[in-house]
Amino acid sequence: MRDNNTQDSDDELETDGGVAGGHGQAHRDTDYLNQEVNLLKPSTPFMRDHLRVVWTGFVIWVVAVFGPVTLTYLATDAMTTQMPVLGFPWHYFLVAFGAPTSALLLSVWYSRKRDALDEKYGIDHTTPEGTEHGGATAADGGVDE
Amino acid sequence: MTGTGTETGIPGITALPLQESLLPESLDISFKVVPAVLVLGMLALFLAIGFVFRVADTEDMWVAGRSIGNVENGMAIGANWMSAASYLGMAASIALAGFYGLVFVVGWTTGYFILLIFLAAQLRRFGKYTAPDFVGDRFNSDSARAIAAVTTFLIGFVYAIGQAKGMALVGLYVFGDFGFLLPGLDGYQVMVIFMMAITVGYLTLSGMLGATKNQAVQYTILIVAFLVGLFVVGYTNGYSTVLPQLEYGMLIDDLGSEFSEPFVTSSYYLWIATTFSLIVGTCGLPHVLVRFYTVESERTARWSTVWGLFFICLLYWSAPAFAAFGTDLYTTNVRPTYGDPGMASAASEVIVVLAAQLSNLPEWFVGIVAAGGIAAAIATVAGLFIAGSSAISHDIYTNIINEDATQRQQILVGRLSIVALGVLTTLAALDPASSIAALVGYAFALAGSVLFPMFFIGMWWENANRQGALAGMTTGLVLWSIPMINEIVPTYVSSLEAPLSAGLAQWMPAIGSALITLPIVFAVTIIVSLVTDDPPAETKRIVRQCHSPEPMGQQQTAEDVVADGGESQTPADD
Repeated sequence: MRDNNTQDSDDELETDGGVAGGHGQAHRDTDYLNQEVNLLKPSTPFMRDHLRVVWTGFVIWVVAVFGPVTLTYLATDAMTTQMPVLGFPWHYFLVAFGAPTSALLLSVWYSRKRDALDEKYGIDHTTPEGTEHGGATAADGGVDE
Repeated sequence: MTGTGTETGIPGITALPLQESLLPESLDISFKVVPAVLVLGMLALFLAIGFVFRVADTEDMWVAGRSIGNVENGMAIGANWMSAASYLGMAASIALAGFYGLVFVVGWTTGYFILLIFLAAQLRRFGKYTAPDFVGDRFNSDSARAIAAVTTFLIGFVYAIGQAKGMALVGLYVFGDFGFLLPGLDGYQVMVIFMMAITVGYLTLSGMLGATKNQAVQYTILIVAFLVGLFVVGYTNGYSTVLPQLEYGMLIDDLGSEFSEPFVTSSYYLWIATTFSLIVGTCGLPHVLVRFYTVESERTARWSTVWGLFFICLLYWSAPAFAAFGTDLYTTNVRPTYGDPGMASAASEVIVVLAAQLSNLPEWFVGIVAAGGIAAAIATVAGLFIAGSSAISHDIYTNIINEDATQRQQILVGRLSIVALGVLTTLAALDPASSIAALVGYAFALAGSVLFPMFFIGMWWENANRQGALAGMTTGLVLWSIPMINEIVPTYVSSLEAPLSAGLAQWMPAIGSALITLPIVFAVTIIVSLVTDDPPAETKRIVRQCHSPEPMGQQQTAEDVVADGGESQTPADD
């Protein structure tokens, strides 16, 4: 949110100077400690982007986990026919192999997306104890209250 | 539903003829030199690692100095996770309960994605010591902390009963029947006492650091034993060549419709309820949640979840194949698995070991498969007991009873509570009410009913407050007990027959009760929070800090950052 840039954020701009683009700017301008956390009402640009990824993944996950068994319940005959080559009944394969594998692939997908988000917003995890970058958080945290 | 089993413990599976003894028939029970040396050598190795990495201070004991990396933490997640229920109980359920048995495959893997997207990184940022720590600090309430600590203790206890049963059953194959040793106890019960004594001994020597180091070793042992066992059993019997995880499909048609036909032994509703319960339980288990406090950064928290899930999948892709091979071998060599009398549940619980034995593989090889089962059980008991004992020592003793406790006192209380948990578990495991997988399932229902809602709401809605949490957790505990009293307690009382109410057991089964309890607990927590005052601003800021994308120091917690008031972010040099 841009409406927070009244705070004294001069020093952050210098320390993080290398990050290009509006998202990095939006990130530096956001005072995360003063933005409400509500799963259904994301309040920062970062959380909006993040939750879009989270909910997309969640919907696919629900379909992958509960879809095959529900289909098996609704269309038992079709789902219990044999697969070509592997010989599994379809429902068995989709549940025993499909569901765990989907969760694993989704997890890789999510973690990559999340890393990409960090990059987009100019967040660097390689120096978790860095003083300069950390200084930005601290400066934000110190504002009011 | 065809009935509610008391012996299998899985609703819907009619109880097989009751066995007086838990000695699994057709398993070759005798003392075997090479397998015994293997298992004892493995236990000695765990103790040695525990001793080398033994701890003297609490930071190391509970969160391993927050120094664990991606793959190592992933392996620890895997070892912590894959218990006797995964190694033994899951194949048993798939063999006996058919399609319904797959709920364990799905429920115990897919939950990690939910944990990853909603909780893992936030937990790392919160960065305390234990699961009750979160509840107590987030909701500013020692009562909430105490309820969470008691729940953690209870989960460790219920969960570990299944592990003790698994270790003892496998121990019988390796060490034989020592029923003559203690009057009044049979071979299974003596083995429970023996195996639990070893586990507790190793745990009291080392804390979380030793346990984490051990868990990487334990993971390696259990996954190698399981996979090599599967490949060799599949190959020597001509079932499979290089990918038994996919090749067992060709076998399914020959195993009888009981193996794969859907909704025969259980309803669609029960399937969904159990899976749901196992998934939310996964995301609420204290010994799983605490793994995210131990990593170096939140990015590590995320990627180690991915690694952990991969390591877990290696076993979960394989267990149905093992069940299929075991079922076929049993039918060929012993008697038909399905029908009357069918495979006894005690035999099904060791089907992984039994499959290796029935394949006429050399004794030392079956010993390796057996050792993997013991490693799986010990690793999980370690995680559970650490979580349970830290709940007592850190959350109840240090935070509530004696705030000036010295490190020495805390560790002493921690060790004493490990011993207490060990004794309680051993006693309950002497005559377990259900199958390994079902026993573990009850613990999941509890975690999903009480802890998961607190973590989820507490982390994602800053206005959740103390009153809401207290009301929610109490509701969760009460609701969880109802089906337990309905179905499990009567099995310990000879004059009662389980379940007390068949209708309740059908719609709120003990193993899947979280499907009913979770929405109620969510609603209670949210409504009570709405009608009472907002939590303090400080608390809200801690929640916000958990979601901020700004990197944090390795030794920092969200509370530190907020409390610092932004003056400095220098991590404590401890």
